[in-house]
Amino acid sequence: MAIPKRKVNPKGETVISVSGLTPKAARYSRIFDFLVVAAVVPLFAGAFHLHVMLTVGDWDMYVDWKDRQYWPLVAPISMIMFPAALQAIFWVNFRLPIGATVGATVLLITTWLGRYANWWIWTGFPFTEGVPSQVIAGALLMDMALIVLRNSLFTSIFAGFAFGFVFWPSNYSALAPFYLPVEHQGMVASLADMIGYTFPRSNMPEYLRIIERGTLRTFGSSVSWVSAAFAGFICIFMHQLWWQLGRFASQTTFLKNGDVVKSFMGMKSRRAS
Amino acid sequence: MRTRTVQFYDVHFSKTDVKVNERFELTGKFRLMEDWPDAVTPPDIVFVSSVSPGPTIARVETYLNGEPARQSFAKLELGRDYDFRMVLEGRTPGSSHIHPSISIKGSGPLVGPGQWINISGDAHSFAFPIKTMTGLQIDDLQTFGLTNAIGWHVAWLAVAAAWLLFWLVRPLFLPRWLVLQKGREDLLVSLRDTGAGIIVAAIVLGMVFGGYVRANQEYPYNVPLQSGLNKVAPRPASPADAEVKVISATYEVPGRSMRLATRITNKGSEPLSIGELTTANIRFLNQGLPAAVANVDPTYPRDLVARTGLELSSDTPINPGETRELRVEATDAVWELERLVSFLTDVDSKFGGLLLLYTPSGKRVIAEMGGPIVPVFTELK
Ligand SMILES: [Cu+2]
Repeated sequence: MAIPKRKVNPKGETVISVSGLTPKAARYSRIFDFLVVAAVVPLFAGAFHLHVMLTVGDWDMYVDWKDRQYWPLVAPISMIMFPAALQAIFWVNFRLPIGATVGATVLLITTWLGRYANWWIWTGFPFTEGVPSQVIAGALLMDMALIVLRNSLFTSIFAGFAFGFVFWPSNYSALAPFYLPVEHQGMVASLADMIGYTFPRSNMPEYLRIIERGTLRTFGSSVSWVSAAFAGFICIFMHQLWWQLGRFASQTTFLKNGDVVKSFMGMKSRRAS
Repeated sequence: MRTRTVQFYDVHFSKTDVKVNERFELTGKFRLMEDWPDAVTPPDIVFVSSVSPGPTIARVETYLNGEPARQSFAKLELGRDYDFRMVLEGRTPGSSHIHPSISIKGSGPLVGPGQWINISGDAHSFAFPIKTMTGLQIDDLQTFGLTNAIGWHVAWLAVAAAWLLFWLVRPLFLPRWLVLQKGREDLLVSLRDTGAGIIVAAIVLGMVFGGYVRANQEYPYNVPLQSGLNKVAPRPASPADAEVKVISATYEVPGRSMRLATRITNKGSEPLSIGELTTANIRFLNQGLPAAVANVDPTYPRDLVARTGLELSSDTPINPGETRELRVEATDAVWELERLVSFLTDVDSKFGGLLLLYTPSGKRVIAEMGGPIVPVFTELK
């Protein structure tokens, strides 16, 4: 007795059978999959890494720039761009809810490779000085929201916000030990401050750090949650903007050939004169 | 410009050969010139630093006039002196050129004289232990916390990899695209997939907030990054025992020679002899005055001490109350080598420097001087 493979699909249809590909073509399409992945991963990884270096720069680079106020705000706003665009490309064209995760994963891997090559091998900075941030947590939530909501606008509202909001807590667990207090020359410093101070960057005086300088307002220790909420709010719009950009970039359109080109290509006879 | 901003003096390296993990001190003083150039931001936010080729040395402690200098300072005063002390530690074996430096927000680093420090030993033996205020003894600041951070990153990568594999094992781009064109979205994302997504979302939220709560329990006394500007008073002003007025100054380009006509007034109680002209780390010594020669620290970089020295039109000491006109000549290729001849191309052709004078009892008087300078492009007869 034949048991249907899936309840939702009683006729035994598979993606391959419905796609109309012959078994041979299906095999080639699998090779094509690998080629696409092999080409796209380094491309996205390089582009995304460069983008983050240029926009988030020192906040993602140095442990003593990862403050409570600016880092949880600037980093997710910039780091949502590529995942949002990739999410659109993968979902609109292939119904694959993995775009954001792909972006966040290749970014983290490339960043660590960069830290190893440029920081440790080339200039000899300890890894503790360059612990990066990760956005995989937020990206996974984005893909999960998409598969449940199946709508880019709702994904922007809920998952764009979630992406920005979970940046701080999801990175704090990895970085918490670096905020332990030490006494140095009679003053309090965090370990992160000490790491930046002990292994000097000649071209970066302390005052260049754009970090929380304190406030009279009574946010107190909740300052990072205020930043997280605000980052989430901005990320809603960032997500939608970059989703649209990703969709636009993955369109295939054809330009109509002009008469000159057509006649040149032999598609149209020259006008008799 | 460099001759009119920060003048380093008394720079001393406690050692020039150190082992990995061995400490040495870099000390000295600097004068912020009264006649500060308009084009350079005034020293309102200042960081005391060292220049090294990457972190070949570790910084242990730094002081400005005895105040801790891990953070930046606000509002240093022009025309005043400051002394610095840096405790450094050899880290990377090899020869490292180390300078003290004063970074000014808006202008960048103003670098003091550099010295080669030979660091010997095994790079891997370097470690930087530190103790936290919570009582935790950390063996090495270079590796502490990495296991936790990398552990979290690997955990996130694992969840991401699981989700990606869940999708990548299926037929991918071409078949899915074809199926989508045929309007059969139901085949591509099933209810089971949505369920899996909800489970993953729950795992992610559990990791995010569970991890956050755990980190807070484990590190309840954490502090934010520390910042803020420190205040520091300048060194007591040295008595203005000598007043130096530059009547005229020329720089002879072919001969690489600076010639000054000066009027010097001794306002002190002891006779004064000119011992040294120093500007932008270059030192021209009156080699006929033992006190001036003795003032050169053996660790001071030799290439910054001009070989020809300082030539004076008169060598007899200036008596108390006396005003004398004196010609001073400083000739050396080091003007060009150190690229100090920018006053030839600057918009305001001015120079500055410190004149060091000595009394017979060995007291040193430091006088700031400077003014417009006129280049001479042909050989003077
Ligand atoms: Cu150097």
